[in-house]
Amino acid sequence: MKILVIEDNAELLQDIKNFLEEEGNICEIAPNYKLAYDKIGIFPYDILIVDITLPDGNGLDIIKAVKKENIDAGIIIISAKNAVGDKIHGLEIGADDYLAKPFYLAELNARIKALYRRKVYNGSREIFFNEIKIKPDSYEVFVDDHLLNLTKKEFDIIHFFVVNRHRLLTKEAIAEHLWGDHIEMADSYKFIYTHLANLRKKIAESGGKDYIQTIYSVGYKFTDRE
Amino acid sequence: MNLVRKTNTYYLIFLAFLFPVMVVVDYFLIQYVVNSEVEEILLHEQERINFHLDGNGKLPSSNYLFETSTIDEAAVFTPQFKDTLLYEGYAGKYIPYRTYAFTSTVDSQPVKITLKHVLLEINELIWLLFIATSFIILLLVLGLYFINQKVYKWAWNPFFKNLAKLKKYDVTQKDPIHLKTSRINEFEELNKVITTLIDQVKKDFQNLKEFNENISHEVQTPLAIIRNKVVLLLESKNLDERELKRVEAVYQETNKLSKIGKSLTLISRIENQEFKRLDRVDVHAIIKNILNNMEEIINFRNLKVSKELHPVTIECDHILADILFTNLIKNAVQHNIDGGVIKMLLTQEKFEITNTGEVSEIATEKLFHRFQKDSPTKESLGLGLAINQKICEIYGFRLTYARNEKTHIFSLFFQSQVEKE
Repeated sequence: MKILVIEDNAELLQDIKNFLEEEGNICEIAPNYKLAYDKIGIFPYDILIVDITLPDGNGLDIIKAVKKENIDAGIIIISAKNAVGDKIHGLEIGADDYLAKPFYLAELNARIKALYRRKVYNGSREIFFNEIKIKPDSYEVFVDDHLLNLTKKEFDIIHFFVVNRHRLLTKEAIAEHLWGDHIEMADSYKFIYTHLANLRKKIAESGGKDYIQTIYSVGYKFTDRE
Repeated sequence: MNLVRKTNTYYLIFLAFLFPVMVVVDYFLIQYVVNSEVEEILLHEQERINFHLDGNGKLPSSNYLFETSTIDEAAVFTPQFKDTLLYEGYAGKYIPYRTYAFTSTVDSQPVKITLKHVLLEINELIWLLFIATSFIILLLVLGLYFINQKVYKWAWNPFFKNLAKLKKYDVTQKDPIHLKTSRINEFEELNKVITTLIDQVKKDFQNLKEFNENISHEVQTPLAIIRNKVVLLLESKNLDERELKRVEAVYQETNKLSKIGKSLTLISRIENQEFKRLDRVDVHAIIKNILNNMEEIINFRNLKVSKELHPVTIECDHILADILFTNLIKNAVQHNIDGGVIKMLLTQEKFEITNTGEVSEIATEKLFHRFQKDSPTKESLGLGLAINQKICEIYGFRLTYARNEKTHIFSLFFQSQVEKE
């Protein structure tokens, strides 16, 4: 898919661009309001990532312009302000999602993919990883067409993993994905560990391979690569 | 004790001392005046008698004449005044007299003539004075009381008005304070000082607020960058074990920093009253929702949850209500022991959550302070209860904590809301 990232911090912009390109997307960047405005007028994008505070304007105005011109693009706001007003206002004028800085790139990736799926395939598209098939709209996971009996959080974990395949997912990123950023839950890492063990077992029982690699003590990676 | 009562008390004490002094002084003063008047009369009478004696050598008739007696020629006698009591048959009692004795010559015979004049009775005099003085003092007390009351009401009026305003003053409010002016210099001066102080406090508060906002906003982007770079480092295959450990530590501390920033921002946003919405919040639904979200971690910890939840709605911002109840329930889960118990009770009046747990070392009153936690090793930041406290403050809820041995009870009273309805 084609993504435009509008963000004034060059370093963060580059990180996002690299990450999204590694995921196989075409990613363009705009470090200010004017450039962003010019680009959306000329090129079609599937997804816009919009920072609200820009040196020469407000990201919310870009969203308004997009909606006014009837450009069909999914919009995700990224903002350091994390102000409720901004979030509600942004969603009201037509943004699809909101992420407060600092966010995990894996989380942004998951949100982009979910948004893209909702927009383009009406959410009905299945996600595949070798013998594993995920139906996000019905919260079902199959291994070789064999339905796994998963709890809600186990589904969330494997979904997050498959969307961010071959990526290092830190325990913190997983915890925040599962519970949101207002919960700083002790024991959540132990919880994740236990649930991953259960998940491994359930996949193995259905004849699936173990794709979950433990990366030191920082996190996990869902991959079939060495 | 308020000002007017204090003043009146001192007046009364002063008058209590003054009262006997006034009676005594009055007594001697009046006695002195009366005596000198009487003496003057008697001296006049002496002159009149002497004048008659010098003229015709006869003793004239006199109302004041008491007695005459012949004396030896040689006797030297200086005229003198004296007080004496004489029994008067017609009154049936002793009556005080002032007498004056002097010598003169009647029919070439030296005589001692004594004149007398009735005096006021001493007992009567004292009584009279006592009553008169008491009356004057009573008038004085009443007068002072009323004057004080009036002065208190009138002159101090701006002072009390301003005091009430200052009591209600909230530094987070933007509108400036208008102090009532007074014609009394001291109050005017006080007003000036207060206005200057408030301006200063306001400026400091504004600076602090800006600093808080800036620091929590502006660090988020750099933190995001640090975190992304560290993840890249962790993914790199060229690091050895020791280097990895270091990078991991950087990652974890960065996360902590980011969470502290977010929590503190949340607190200052609550303080700045950014959450203005008054939603009808279905508490029952919120709690169900939170429990749903935590269901698996509750099972994981093997906790037994018993709940008695009645349908309750409160008026507050939905987001804050969610944070408030999430923090309370999360606390009960987090500080529980494996296989422990959580009890929840929700009524119109309050939400009460009881959980088993370790004996806490933290003093109860410190519990709601920022960064209070059981052990520094835990992942928790110790900001949850501080956030809850802030939320309760703005909606007038009351959050209390009690414990006995190994059970901890948090009670959230919706009191003020119930009263409002």
